Amino acid sequence: MATATLETKSLKISPGLLAWFALIGILLLIGLIAAVQVFLHGLEITNMNDTVPWGLWITIDLSAIALGAGAFTLSAVVYLFGIKRFQPIIRLAVFIGFIGYTSALLTLILDIGRPDRFWHPWVYWNIHSVLWEITWCITIYLTIMVFEFLPVVAEARFFDRWPWFRKIASLLHGAAPFLALLGLMISLLHQSSLGATYGIVKARPIWFKPSMPILFILSAVAVGPALTMAVAFVMEWVMGKRTVPHDILFTIARFCGFGLLLYGYLRFWDTMAVLYYGRTPSVIEAWTLLQESTPYNFSFWVLELLLGIVLPVIFFLTPRFNRRPPFLVIGAALAVMGVIVNRWNVTVSGLTVPMDYSPGTQYLTPVGSYFPNLPEWGVAAGIIGYAFLMLTLGALFLPLFSTKEAHH
Amino acid sequence: MSKKKTKVTVEITRRDVLTLAGVAAGSAAAAVLLTSGPLSPFSALKQEQLDVEQENGGHGATGDHHWGMVISLDQCIGCEYCLRACSAVNDVKTDKPWNIVVEEKNSAGHPFYFSRPCLHCQNAPCVEVCPVKATYHREDGLVVMDYDRCIGCRYCEVACPYDARKFNWETRDDVNPYIPTWGIAEVERRPRGVVEKCTFCIHRIDAGLKQGLTPGVHPEATPACVNICPVGARVFGDLKDPNSQVSILVKNNPTVVLREELGTRPSVLYLPPKEGL
Ligand code: SF4
Ligand code: SF4
Repeated sequence: MATATLETKSLKISPGLLAWFALIGILLLIGLIAAVQVFLHGLEITNMNDTVPWGLWITIDLSAIALGAGAFTLSAVVYLFGIKRFQPIIRLAVFIGFIGYTSALLTLILDIGRPDRFWHPWVYWNIHSVLWEITWCITIYLTIMVFEFLPVVAEARFFDRWPWFRKIASLLHGAAPFLALLGLMISLLHQSSLGATYGIVKARPIWFKPSMPILFILSAVAVGPALTMAVAFVMEWVMGKRTVPHDILFTIARFCGFGLLLYGYLRFWDTMAVLYYGRTPSVIEAWTLLQESTPYNFSFWVLELLLGIVLPVIFFLTPRFNRRPPFLVIGAALAVMGVIVNRWNVTVSGLTVPMDYSPGTQYLTPVGSYFPNLPEWGVAAGIIGYAFLMLTLGALFLPLFSTKEAHH
Repeated sequence: MSKKKTKVTVEITRRDVLTLAGVAAGSAAAAVLLTSGPLSPFSALKQEQLDVEQENGGHGATGDHHWGMVISLDQCIGCEYCLRACSAVNDVKTDKPWNIVVEEKNSAGHPFYFSRPCLHCQNAPCVEVCPVKATYHREDGLVVMDYDRCIGCRYCEVACPYDARKFNWETRDDVNPYIPTWGIAEVERRPRGVVEKCTFCIHRIDAGLKQGLTPGVHPEATPACVNICPVGARVFGDLKDPNSQVSILVKNNPTVVLREELGTRPSVLYLPPKEGL
């Protein structure tokens, strides 16, 4: 039985750990203060406005969900495609997915104007709405991840006293392949429809294109597992013991390299088709406006493409770097940055360009301007603190790296 | 804590890489299916544009009436009376009017005035995107909001092609300068955290119909902006009634539809200035 093989962790409180927890505490405190302010005074205290009604928080939602994609991708690899070799990383992947999705939900609760009505999409259905579909998928997928992960939690020593809990958990464990399959379908659906959220908005020419959902899911599938891989390495360095066999991590890096290559290729052609060859006037005008009024050029070409795609691809795929963990971790960090910048660019850039609807003047309203302010950054800090806390607790108390299968 | 020397012999078989590439290709294929196949939101859009009338109560005016407005860009003198009456009657915050009025120039440089309420689109993007049906179509074609249901996600505000929606960022405590000069508040202020927009003075239409009045004919049953316009640039009525003033205007005049290429089919139509646009 796996429990027997679990290392009994007696928690050594080292100064480093203490400092780390202090940092997490500060982040959480900042987040809490910001959240309370938002609940008390409303979204008025943010820098969002009627021209740019979505901002940093939506970017966090989108990024956190995309970064959680390692869970469904790697689960599919193991349970659907039967590559059992990757089993040792599944728990970590699902755990990170869970953190990503809960972070997104926490941010979302703050971002909607009426947090008290967060449950409305479950009761009042508009099946025509992508946002409705996304809400449902995320809820269902989060439930699936809880079920997938429950057996791991049950293995923690804490549950020695409740054997019935373990029994249920081991039943669930048997359902893992089924859960993974269900999760895969749900994930494919909502990871793409997050892109469709923008892609279907015909009011805004630079969003309205069918490539949106495809780019969203591809970037998520490529970068999600990379983050899982990087976390495995970092945990190994910090805890000083092997987490996941390195050959698995190297393969994941390669996979992400190919995924990013494909994503970069599509992204490049999407840009070329829309801007260089297509030249739809409304799109070109919007693009020109962005280049003139925002650092779009830099954030697109340098942050998104060069640092976010090209460099990680080099680190993940060339023999010179792809067996050297530090480079893989840097590559993953860059790719993560690339995805976040992409989600920001999509959201905020689309909104800064005013709409052209009047019969006489092209743009009635001035170009939107938005940069997050203190409360918004505060909430972001809180979310990061939450993610760090969960990862740390997981690393300390959960058997993330011992699989039953490994002993068979 | 000694770091273990990581001398690793990597065994990545060709098969693994191929299968992983297969996973990527498979996901991409599934994504394409989901986004351009029958399950896709895009196909739904196209579908709805084609058969709006058949949809039961879902989209557009399905009942006996279809309330609409004709605004003459030629007659409007830019006095902003509509904006003020609207802001008073609906108790709208002054810096976020539901009705806007702006001076514009046509291609020949001739000035004209453009005003815009909510267009009550029959293919309304705001209705399509709302996750909770807090924005919906009534049978008479009006695009209505349920302030008690709205969760404040602001997707409708993002999706409206005409910038007709505004969000309540804070609890309002402003004094409305238009009351009582331009009218008295006939509806409640909207709470913090929900989106709002022009309603075509729905409360007047409903109350008027109950008393047997005809919206567009009897002032009590007609939107405040239409009543107050000193030059009659705004005309309101039933687009389904061939004898209503709006129908006659639409029949006998060339009309302009804002962003017609989007297929939103607004219930507000414009008569272009004499000098052309
Ligand atoms: S004008 Fe905007 S708010 Fe009004 S119905 Fe059309 S999309 Fe909706
Ligand atoms: S803000 Fe309210 S009305 Fe608008 S889409 Fe969201 S829930 Fe619907």
